[in-house]
Amino acid sequence: MITQAAPASPPATVPPRPAVSRRRRRPDLFRTLSRVLIMLIVIVQVYPLAWLFLTSLRTEHDFATGDPFALPGSLTFDNYARAFETGDLGRNILNSFVVTMGANVLIVLLGMMAAYAIQVLGFRLSKLVRGLFLIGIIVPVQIALVPLFIDYSAVNLLDTYQSMIIPLAGFSLPMSVYLFSSFFEYIPRETYEAASLDGAGPYRIFGLITLPLSLNTVVTVVLVNSIFIWNDFIFANTFVLSEDLKTIPMGLQNYIGAMGKVDWTATFAAVCVTITPLLLVFLVLNKAMIRGLESGATKG
Amino acid sequence: MQPNRMLPNRSRTSVLVFLLPPLLLYGAAVLFPIIQSLFLSFFSWNGISDMEFVGLDNYVRMFVADDIFWRAFLNALLYLAICLVLQLGGALVVASLVASLSRGRELIKTLYLLPAIISTVAIAFLFVRIYSIDPVGLLNQLLHWIGLGSLERPWLSDVNTVLAAVSAPEGWRFTGLYMLIIYAALIAVPKELEEAAVLDGASRWTLFTKIRFPYIRPVWITTTIMATTYGLRGFDIPYLMTNGGPGQSSELLTTYMYKTAFTSTDFGYASTISVFIVVECLVAVGLILFLLKRKSES
Repeated sequence: MITQAAPASPPATVPPRPAVSRRRRRPDLFRTLSRVLIMLIVIVQVYPLAWLFLTSLRTEHDFATGDPFALPGSLTFDNYARAFETGDLGRNILNSFVVTMGANVLIVLLGMMAAYAIQVLGFRLSKLVRGLFLIGIIVPVQIALVPLFIDYSAVNLLDTYQSMIIPLAGFSLPMSVYLFSSFFEYIPRETYEAASLDGAGPYRIFGLITLPLSLNTVVTVVLVNSIFIWNDFIFANTFVLSEDLKTIPMGLQNYIGAMGKVDWTATFAAVCVTITPLLLVFLVLNKAMIRGLESGATKG
Repeated sequence: MQPNRMLPNRSRTSVLVFLLPPLLLYGAAVLFPIIQSLFLSFFSWNGISDMEFVGLDNYVRMFVADDIFWRAFLNALLYLAICLVLQLGGALVVASLVASLSRGRELIKTLYLLPAIISTVAIAFLFVRIYSIDPVGLLNQLLHWIGLGSLERPWLSDVNTVLAAVSAPEGWRFTGLYMLIIYAALIAVPKELEEAAVLDGASRWTLFTKIRFPYIRPVWITTTIMATTYGLRGFDIPYLMTNGGPGQSSELLTTYMYKTAFTSTDFGYASTISVFIVVECLVAVGLILFLLKRKSES
């Protein structure tokens, strides 16, 4: 912040001269260096993804023999045709969509309800309940795999959408509860008191005041959780077997052929197709998403 | 009577109506499985025959007789260390750099976060190609160009490099997330504090260590906890890229637990390993809070 303000316009109240002139030269070198460094870092971060896209447009021959950094000799969409032949990408995307939506509905609704009970209604053991939710943030998801596998097979839930939605929602619930309750803190007490005097009970207040005011937080919660849920591998891999229910990460695995032989260019084409929905959402809503991720940690 | 009650007249029933559904889901998906794992860890069970109570046998086996367990534990610590350096170290450096930019901050933040939205399966595919030697992948080609051709190798089948090779993608994937959080904290440091320090002739380094870092310490603690617990649950990328191999050279506790449960169908012993992973996470969080909080008080 200082480095950007200092050289642009000298401040009206002039600070001691030597300090300023000494600093003025050095920041320039420092700024150039940091620009170069940040460019390099961004390239490392983004180039693999650009390469993945370019490879999806390469011919198989070009991919197998060429220099990996070279631009494709000729562009082809054959890989995309093969990608759609090999797997059921539409089906996978639809399944991911169903799971993401289902889990998000639960996370938002139940997270909001829990936060309302803890923060607005208040009860004696609310500290304990908060603590219980903290466990879910710390504990790794793998702990639930064996028990859920056993429980699901006992109640015939293996190989269903629910088998993925329940743990995904359960493990995301704590963060949602924290985000909502830190938002509810900012709704002034007077709002509730006024509504209470008008005779509104806790249900009407929830529906008419808390819910509509929380829409921004809902967007945050949905965006942040969707990244993780859309890409979930471990629950889908453990609980789902049938092709019909496979989400994107599972669908992509179908591209590993027998004997581990992989049609790489077609696989990369499939990867590009499956990245697209979330990428579009991300590019359109990236400001909201970034704000959400930032507030997720600083408040939670 | 209730200090944090905002609604003057609410019934006990209304609290239950709002609280029970979330607790039910959370209990079924998170709390009950934890208890179940603890319970199962005292049994020997393959999922089909009768469960057999074995007392502490599983724990004795884990701590005393299982070399793979210890190997996986050490690997997991190394994996965590690599992830932490890449994610937190990288995030702090990049966040400081971005905060010093006058233009293009939003663009860089967006680009930097991009890998976080790609699924681990896609990342595993991508990095298999980056590390490959035949046809030559990006990494080996790059080494060749900059004159380090002697380092070229099949990174994923060399037992000396495979663990680092499967850790790096995880670090790469989420560093953008932590960068955002640290960046948000850095730009919230009050300008007056920094300006006063600059007028006092503080160097860039002093400015960082004496003003900025102490100010962002609470956020730093949160991100360290996040990165550590995420690092300890790392699973997808090693599982997909090498499945713990070659041998056990990239086996983590999580992949070992998974294979014990779903390949060897040894549910009891797998639960014992899960319990250990949970304890490990709790200890790690406790240690971070203890070390970082104490430092901030001294």
